[in-house]
Amino acid sequence: MTSTLPAVTTPKVPAQRQPAPEARSTSRTTPPKRLRSSRPDLILCGVLLVAILTVQGWNIADYPTLSDDEGTYLAQAWAVQEGRGLAHYTYWYDHPPLGWIQIALLTWIPAALSPESMTVGTMRAAMLVISAVSAVLVYVLGRRLSLPRWAAGLGMVLFGLSPLSVVLQREIFLDNLAVMWTLLAFALAASPSRHLWHHFGAGIAAATAVLTKETMLFVLPAVLITMWRHSHRDTRKFAVTGAVTACALIGLSYPLFALLKGELFPGSGHVSLWDGIRYQMTRPGSGFILDQGSGSHGVLQSWLYYDRVLIVGGLAGALLLLVTWRWSVTARALAGPSCTVVVLALVAMRPSGYLPAMYVIQALPFLALVLAGGTASVAHAVLRRRRSEAENRYVTGGRYALAAVLAIAAGAYVVPRWYDGARTAVTTDANAPYQAASKWLATEVEDPRGTRVLVDDALWLDLVHAGYRPGLGVIWFYKADLDPAVTKTMPGGWRDLDYVVASPTVRRDAVDLPNVRAAMEHSTPVAVFGSGADRIEIRQIQAASGGVR
Amino acid sequence: MTSVFIAVVSLALFWMAAFTLWWQMHAWRTPEVLASTRFSRPDGGEHVSFSLLLPARHEQAVLDHTIQRLLESTHTDFEIIVIVGHDDPETSEVAERAAARDPRVRVVVDTHEKKNKPKAMNTALPHCRGDVVGVFDAEDQVHPELLAHVDHAFRTTGADVVQGGVQLINFHSSWYSLRNCLEYFFWFRSRLHLHAQKGFIPLGGNTVFVRTDVLRGADGWDPDCLAEDCDLGVRLSSVGKKVVVAYDSDMVTKEETPGSLMSLLKQRTRWNQGFLQVYRKKDWRQLPTFGQRLLARYTLTTPFLQAFTGLIIPLNVAIALFLDVPVGIAFITFLPAVTALVTFVFEVVGLHDFGKQYGLRVRFVHYVKLIVGGPFYQVLLAGAAVRAVWREQRGRNDWELTTHVGAHLTSAEATRDLREDVPA
Repeated sequence: MTSTLPAVTTPKVPAQRQPAPEARSTSRTTPPKRLRSSRPDLILCGVLLVAILTVQGWNIADYPTLSDDEGTYLAQAWAVQEGRGLAHYTYWYDHPPLGWIQIALLTWIPAALSPESMTVGTMRAAMLVISAVSAVLVYVLGRRLSLPRWAAGLGMVLFGLSPLSVVLQREIFLDNLAVMWTLLAFALAASPSRHLWHHFGAGIAAATAVLTKETMLFVLPAVLITMWRHSHRDTRKFAVTGAVTACALIGLSYPLFALLKGELFPGSGHVSLWDGIRYQMTRPGSGFILDQGSGSHGVLQSWLYYDRVLIVGGLAGALLLLVTWRWSVTARALAGPSCTVVVLALVAMRPSGYLPAMYVIQALPFLALVLAGGTASVAHAVLRRRRSEAENRYVTGGRYALAAVLAIAAGAYVVPRWYDGARTAVTTDANAPYQAASKWLATEVEDPRGTRVLVDDALWLDLVHAGYRPGLGVIWFYKADLDPAVTKTMPGGWRDLDYVVASPTVRRDAVDLPNVRAAMEHSTPVAVFGSGADRIEIRQIQAASGGVR
Repeated sequence: MTSVFIAVVSLALFWMAAFTLWWQMHAWRTPEVLASTRFSRPDGGEHVSFSLLLPARHEQAVLDHTIQRLLESTHTDFEIIVIVGHDDPETSEVAERAAARDPRVRVVVDTHEKKNKPKAMNTALPHCRGDVVGVFDAEDQVHPELLAHVDHAFRTTGADVVQGGVQLINFHSSWYSLRNCLEYFFWFRSRLHLHAQKGFIPLGGNTVFVRTDVLRGADGWDPDCLAEDCDLGVRLSSVGKKVVVAYDSDMVTKEETPGSLMSLLKQRTRWNQGFLQVYRKKDWRQLPTFGQRLLARYTLTTPFLQAFTGLIIPLNVAIALFLDVPVGIAFITFLPAVTALVTFVFEVVGLHDFGKQYGLRVRFVHYVKLIVGGPFYQVLLAGAAVRAVWREQRGRNDWELTTHVGAHLTSAEATRDLREDVPA
């Protein structure tokens, strides 16, 4: 039976749009529905982004000093690109691999165009992409958490221009990538449309953050709090369950991966996820953070050396927001970030825990947001609290004067310090010794292919490009003692090596590594670059008789 | 080579599962969408008159109660047309008695030799005096304020068709009724609204209201189609008629699931076969946009895709676990299973919401039943799909259920078997 009805031209029925009933439980000021089409927001965010990228990008290769960790992650990304597996040596579940898989993707095109560019200094430029995305996300999150425009901008500046950020965000650390994903999770959790699939996406982003750097696990409850506050009573159970499910399913892909490879549980002759986790959980602690002389205290001092404002101010802001929870709308809106700061602070205070220097990276955006929120709270208290229409003009004037004094005082304290930090970052050349050592090894050694040399990972890729055999020719110095696949190729111990590149990292850790220590003891410097504790020595191994091997 | 094949199959399955999930969750996308799925509150004005069709066959036990309940409606301008068969004196008697009691009730006798629901309704169509024809089943529990809400919906939206919610309620009866109830819940609560929005909708079997002139213009229902309700919706939406769907938990028409697994299987077979017929009638090809035609194609073939995916997904996972495929490929093979898992989780939440909406106590054991019963229900659906294809292939497109009404069934079972509670 065919229809005889005439066809009409407007077949598409628009959904009946009705306002959702407002839930009373989540009182908050309404954020702008569409930031993308808000010109002032775009301009402010764009200008700040340019400033941040300029300060972070200028001189990025030469400052700060190349670190062994950066080299490791990049070398692992290189291994992924080259199809050599998940790491340049055996992947042993020290971290989930998603972080450097992302680095591999990020650097894929430049590495394909010019393979020699795959070195730490050059590829730091890729981190600018991450910094840019994260900085914009801080702004978006600030706006979605109902911060006024200026406060969201302040948060973005604090996050992107603090000297501590400038130093740490330039480096190829997994934490920087994880921070980006966490910020995305927060921004999606606080989506103004309260869309089911945005919340689902928040779960996926959160899981990606954890698989990028496992310490992001601590931040998950704060994402959940944010989502709970921003979801609507009528759809909340679907949104939150969906997000938790998404997060769990993506997170489980890591153990699943280990299972598929037959490396979930320990066994003879292979690495396992279980062993990897046990290693991380039983890492020797670095002491109580407030205990003078402990390793953790030293790490804290190094952070404070770069910037006190963000750390002290951020912690103070978090406390302020928690204390004023009952009265302040801003405090409730920023519940997620302030919880994150508090949780991360508590985790850092564990007396027996291991506190790495990059730990602070994951707290940076939240310290920035909380400090900006605290500032907004104070500004509101000074300018608006108990202010009535009929207020005396002089009182109002006094409010503005007080606000101006506070702003100038804060500026006077912060700006000179940050200016110094930024100047150091854009002018210092901290990596000349590394570059010189790399050049020396590339030009002065006659037969790179037949030469075996111990280096830290900051130089590993340089030497690969210079023609040394990856893995067993150029050897990441830890592996000379810790990786059976490498030690079995050096039955003579230090005698099977030709050079040791003694960087500060190598000198520091050689104490615990017998082969490396022996190589150091049986070698003499043939070239030294730099001076003092930061010097890099190229040491040639001396045969037992005294001659060069 | 095997790897590529497995990956392609997995990705196809993944997209299918993901789309189905996306649509199933339509109503809960945002609080605004959820709010828009409800009836808006009537303003008290009444301008639409109703002719309510009530086809009844061997339903003397429940018919009177249904008529009484319909007569309690707060709306002031409606007539009830009970359609009975000339070979069914018991039901006719109940209907005649009701007609004698209340002038709003009229009886129309269907004299077709082979009887089915669309023929019965087409018989009554010329007798309808109202502006709008509504369809109910003989055992439906209809809310007294429903007509007032539908009246308001017609006036405020300019709709040609209003589809109200139908909800199976007896989730505690058996493991399959639990799943069956939840299917209705997701279909009427959520998925139908998406169809209404996209301009392609298979209508439900009852609580559906169509403007009388539109219905007559479309020549009523297709008497040869096993899913005449679905077909009507497809034909009307294909020519651009505006369909509005509204679901309010206190305004839905409440029904019960088929009484036995076999009758559920038969009902589902008929439904699937009907879908297949509607697909082959090709009315949906008149839809103006490619997206709509794709949605039509996909929706009408869903039962068969579902049957297929239900069997392939476990096979796929087994391949990933036991065959030696690269880890990346293995991950891809897990994608459909993961999506199915997400669907499962949302079903659990849906069951919770269902309980809340209807004030029903959902116990832990029901959640367990829901999860454990999932795979078996999938097998049932697959069975019904295969059966439908087989019957269609052999040209058996009679109303299977009517032929089975016989002495071996108790009257309650017969009643259940006859109910046309197919939601599409």
